[in-house]
Amino acid sequence: MDLDNAAFCAEKSFLRVVVVVVGGTVTDIDKLAGSVGNLQAGFESHRYICSSQIATAVYLAYQLRKPVLVEGPPGVGKTELAKTTAEMFELPLIRLQCYEGLDEAKAIYEWKYGKQLLYTQVLKETLDEVLQGAKGFTESVNRLHEFGDIFFSEEFMEPRPLLKALQEENGCVLLIDEVDKSDHEFESLLLEILSDYQVSIPEIGTIKAKAEPPIVFLTSNNTREISDALKRRCLHLYIPFPDTDLEQRIIHARVPEIPPELRRQLVTFIQELRDLDLKKVPAISETIDWARTLLLLHTESLDATLVRDTLNVILKFQEDIDNVDAEITTLISKATKN
Amino acid sequence: MDRTLTSFIAALRNADVRISTAETLDAMSAVELCGYRNREFLKDTLALVLPKTPDEKYTFDETFDQFFTFEDVKGESVVTELDGDGEEAEGEGGSGQGQGGAEGEGPGDRKGGGKKKKFSAFEELEVEEDLGTGEMAQPRSTLGKLLMQDSRVELTVNMAAAAKEVSLEEIQVFTQKGLYTRKIMEEMGLADLQQEISVVRQSPSIPDRRLGQELKKRREWLREQVRDYVEKQFLLHADATGKKLREELLRKVKLSNVEHRNFRLVQEVVFRMAKRLVALHSRRKKVFKRGQLHVSRTLRHNMSYDGSIFDLRWKSVKIDRPKVFAICDVSGSVANYARFMLMFLYSLEEVMPKVRSFAFSSDLAEVTDLFERNKLEDAIAKTLRDYSGGSTDYGQAFEDFRNKCLDEIDNRTTIIILGDARNNYGDPRTEILKEMYDRSKRLIWLNPESRNTWNVGDAEMRKYSAYVHQAEECNSLTHLERIVGNLLRTIQ
Repeated sequence: MDLDNAAFCAEKSFLRVVVVVVGGTVTDIDKLAGSVGNLQAGFESHRYICSSQIATAVYLAYQLRKPVLVEGPPGVGKTELAKTTAEMFELPLIRLQCYEGLDEAKAIYEWKYGKQLLYTQVLKETLDEVLQGAKGFTESVNRLHEFGDIFFSEEFMEPRPLLKALQEENGCVLLIDEVDKSDHEFESLLLEILSDYQVSIPEIGTIKAKAEPPIVFLTSNNTREISDALKRRCLHLYIPFPDTDLEQRIIHARVPEIPPELRRQLVTFIQELRDLDLKKVPAISETIDWARTLLLLHTESLDATLVRDTLNVILKFQEDIDNVDAEITTLISKATKN
Repeated sequence: MDRTLTSFIAALRNADVRISTAETLDAMSAVELCGYRNREFLKDTLALVLPKTPDEKYTFDETFDQFFTFEDVKGESVVTELDGDGEEAEGEGGSGQGQGGAEGEGPGDRKGGGKKKKFSAFEELEVEEDLGTGEMAQPRSTLGKLLMQDSRVELTVNMAAAAKEVSLEEIQVFTQKGLYTRKIMEEMGLADLQQEISVVRQSPSIPDRRLGQELKKRREWLREQVRDYVEKQFLLHADATGKKLREELLRKVKLSNVEHRNFRLVQEVVFRMAKRLVALHSRRKKVFKRGQLHVSRTLRHNMSYDGSIFDLRWKSVKIDRPKVFAICDVSGSVANYARFMLMFLYSLEEVMPKVRSFAFSSDLAEVTDLFERNKLEDAIAKTLRDYSGGSTDYGQAFEDFRNKCLDEIDNRTTIIILGDARNNYGDPRTEILKEMYDRSKRLIWLNPESRNTWNVGDAEMRKYSAYVHQAEECNSLTHLERIVGNLLRTIQ
């Protein structure tokens, strides 16, 4: 794998030289997103270890120009996936965090009211000049019409994340985070941008994406069911908890300093924990945190006191901690035996 | 190739994965991109495009594995009984070609012997004359040639083509399996093969007769294969049709007649109905969120318009969730109805306001806690176990209810009583029901018996119905769905 990586990196740096000549990053992305294997290696070089399923999702998203709806328990790397994709493709990441009550004005665009007001004040004085020589009311109104709708033009518009993503010249990665937290209405608002990469603004018209439409990721924690209309427009990726092997590789990529034996032990321990009946089972992010903690404490091998002291890193409910506490020795003996 | 995909999608739909036409188109463009070469890649790809919930993904995995098994076998050419025979047979074909019916030499003998051993797995029904080993004649019919080629790939392709020809995907019930097996065999050229077998078996030439034996064995083997194939296709295409039929029936059947083995299925139906109701009613809530004018927010917001108020802001009212009290008779005769009503009410958690439930046969007890702490099925089982003894006493139950929580009933409360009103000639205590009726917003009585028996025997429905807002007959899932749907409409 290391050899592959090196080869891949070499290829990438070579590409970058070419890119300067060509004068755009598009070729780079095309090459990278050309096959699932390339993508997987690319993610790995950015310290994001992913299954082939995840890489396939990104591959299809890029090739088919479809948004990806990512679901899964919290802490399995849904948001991270979007971030890493942006990093890998060297595209800007535009993020929209959803919450209850999020609406058009905060997601798509808003008028710059202050600027509009200021300009009206300024123009009031020049109004006389404009209307000079106009005979009668009709002519005056006609002249005013010539001003057109300048107050409602792009000059006076404040683009919010969704619109901003469409306006990016070279494309970007758009992350719509925790879409399940938003209202039903907001979901419907997303439909247009997700299927056609455009938004309609009554005063201006339809704004379409520039040359490269954004790569869109939506994440959801399943707090409520996403509507079928939205699901239908997206690729659906479900990221479950990783198996032992994958999790070890993830820890290796994220906390490379940790000794392999301890890494094996702590991953086994976490995997055992996930089988217990807990209020909130530890996710990958917790495993990584724990690995960092253990590293900081110069741990060589798991033992009962140490685990008991650091349990609050992986378990977030006192009830869970109490439950696990009773079984800590069995869990550790399982984790430490070969 | 598109046909493969569409029939796969049909199979998925059969397995209850919802796939729209748009998604089918997506799948096609995705498959165009990934091709059919790499099975894992194809699976990953389709898994992203077609199923859209974790449940559906699970079903998808199973269906995919079943559906694309032949694709899997394709790579290995020959498996199971014919395994290992492939190369040898090919060699034989090569050497045997020029020799025709000539008597075998050394190498031919060895191979023939090997073959005999390998095919010994087949039960020989009639005693065959021992022809020894040696050179065999060449088959003349198309199917015979195919069989003697030992090429599983070609056979499979042929089989699938024949299956398409006879529209195997239209298979409906399991009794058709035999019919389709025969149809496919015939389509593949069984008649010619039969003809050939009977001719060569009576032929004086020994190699011919050897061929006859061999062909017969292989014909049986082929029949086996075709039967397997039909079986698999039946599971893919027809199984769910039967299920749909069953579900349709279950919706209409009297709930007390639902057999125990069908409980799971009924539960699925209940959940699906509940999900639909949830989807229908979760949007409605929003309208009620708009309340009075929020003066300060409006002023603040409209400052940017030079103080002219034209964009109004509203106070969002916290919805005061109405309450539902469900009182269920769980005595033997009505227990099953109570089971499904509770199931229904609690699967509506998302849109249903807080439900408090009570169970009684003679004494009444609150079981809300049970439902909060346990899984739905467990809670129902426990309720029925603990409270279903004793003879029905509505009077006592109402008395208990009055003592426990009559004070908590206010003008936002809906009370649902489920029971047959058969009071064993006891005191009906209608005055308590009247009190409940006066205090609550709605009191609904659901009676599982049909309307014309409501007042027969010890049933007190006539007395009770004076003090309810609505009395309904309720004994099937369809009834239940309608009533709960109406309930949701009125209480929100």
